[in-house]
Amino acid sequence: MIRVSNLTKRYVGRTAVDAISFNVEPGEIVGFLGPNGAGKTTTIRILTGYMPATSGTAVVAGHDIFRDSLKAQQRIGYMPENVPLYDDMRVKEYLRFRALLKGMRGREAKNGIAEAIDLCGLTEMRSKMIGALSKGYRQRVGLADALIHNPDLLILDEPTNGLDPNQIRRVRKLIQQLGLSHTILISTHILSEVEMTCDRVIILDRGKVRAADTPENLIKNLRTAGHISVEVNAAADMAADAIRTIPRVKKVIKESTEGTWTKFTVRAESGADIRESIVALANANHWPLREIHTQGASLEDVFVELTQSPHPD
Amino acid sequence: MAFAITISVLLGIIVLALWRFLSAGTGLVLLAKELRSFFFSPVAWVVLTLVMLLNGFSFTAALADLREGERSVTLTAYTFNSIQFWLAYFFIFPVITMRLFAEEQKLGTIETLLTAPVTTIQLLLAKYLAAISFYIILWVPSLLNFFIFQMNSIDDHSSIGSLTGSYTIIFLVGMFNIAIGCLASSLTKNQLVAAMICFTFCLLHFLLGFVLQNLPVPDAFREIVTHFSTQIHVRTFIDGLIDTRQIIYYISSAVLLLSITYHVLEFRKWKV
Repeated sequence: MIRVSNLTKRYVGRTAVDAISFNVEPGEIVGFLGPNGAGKTTTIRILTGYMPATSGTAVVAGHDIFRDSLKAQQRIGYMPENVPLYDDMRVKEYLRFRALLKGMRGREAKNGIAEAIDLCGLTEMRSKMIGALSKGYRQRVGLADALIHNPDLLILDEPTNGLDPNQIRRVRKLIQQLGLSHTILISTHILSEVEMTCDRVIILDRGKVRAADTPENLIKNLRTAGHISVEVNAAADMAADAIRTIPRVKKVIKESTEGTWTKFTVRAESGADIRESIVALANANHWPLREIHTQGASLEDVFVELTQSPHPD
Repeated sequence: MAFAITISVLLGIIVLALWRFLSAGTGLVLLAKELRSFFFSPVAWVVLTLVMLLNGFSFTAALADLREGERSVTLTAYTFNSIQFWLAYFFIFPVITMRLFAEEQKLGTIETLLTAPVTTIQLLLAKYLAAISFYIILWVPSLLNFFIFQMNSIDDHSSIGSLTGSYTIIFLVGMFNIAIGCLASSLTKNQLVAAMICFTFCLLHFLLGFVLQNLPVPDAFREIVTHFSTQIHVRTFIDGLIDTRQIIYYISSAVLLLSITYHVLEFRKWKV
């Protein structure tokens, strides 16, 4: 559905997107994850034909977004960040304008509007002024606009930004429902959202793709690297220094002490399982060891690991 | 000959642009939306009322003065060449054009517009034609003044030539000034800034032709100035002389300004 290769966007004095490549297959819900300023919105604006890339290509639904942008745009439903809408229009009127703009006419437009209103739960609000709507309903109007022409691909830029937990849950449910019949690319920095809704995650940081995999795989890979909790009966500083000598250990943090027992969190490089080495170390030093386990990693850990890695923390 | 070629080239460009604009129907949808935002907001009605008021005043004042005795000017000339007319005239353009692009940029809706299957040229023409349409509607009441006067007068005072000329030049100057407004509005997110830019340059163009006439400048220079002096054009057209040079001047300037606007919009699209 989306084929991006070597896409680069340079602003004056700054590279926002740096030669990224990724694919999105039909039917997938893909989360586009990254800290603020990672280049998510820039990438999305390029994919929707709002602005061109400095170099590289992007093909959406079989149409090159630079050469054949109108055809590609016809297949995309796009909801920009902060959902810009005309406040002086009524919901139905706005959706009608958008449907006509996207080339729908007559009965097709009428049905499209009715379906979108129904699907997004806007039935009661359809005659209200957009300016009078709450943020949650504005978001739904934006979503209704994005899917009104039944596009193959939905691109949603931070769809739950600024909503309350109930509204977030509703929007998320709607996205899952839409995912059954559409390919969806969601940009967000809310991790639980991705964990719950997405088949695949693309993590972007400082204009580069750091990882692209299913949430489960990302977490699994991190878990083997993982954070390890160790509780030993030994002098804290001595034990910490000893653990640091184990190869591939990145960091040892003293968490708490309880009498003579000290609890550490040990972080190792990814792919290294150092539990045995720690047990061996404890045995060699005759330290009583009463607890050792890997901490359950979450997507948040993956995110932090990937997007902070160059900074020593 | 040169005129004929220029006119046909200009007409060709305009017809081509309009054809592309109307072909997919998208242009019409945008145009309808623009007209809607004029008339569903108080702005249009306030402007319409006030311009009607000013024109009515101007017309009545002209009638009152002509009733006093013999004058060397006609009613049409009196109405369209009076100070009160020109005072009001340059306020129209900023009010009509300031929100065209500035508002879309402020709201961010320019993004939803340009990511729908819409070309920049369609958007530009829709906005420009909507502003022109509103501008035309603005002058209907003042034209009615003349018709009502005609219907109620005993003698036949009809001066069709003079009236046609007056409204032609008002339309042409409007085309030009609205194009300035479009450009101004595309340059900024702030409507007030757009309005000021538009007002300043509309007035500057008018004053340049007006003031330099009366200054001790070389004759050659003065002659150049007459080519873009709206004041002089208005006088010619009120006399009923429809001068193709001026038609070409205003239309081609409008086309030039619109094409600059087009590139400004494209540049915005590329930069942000």
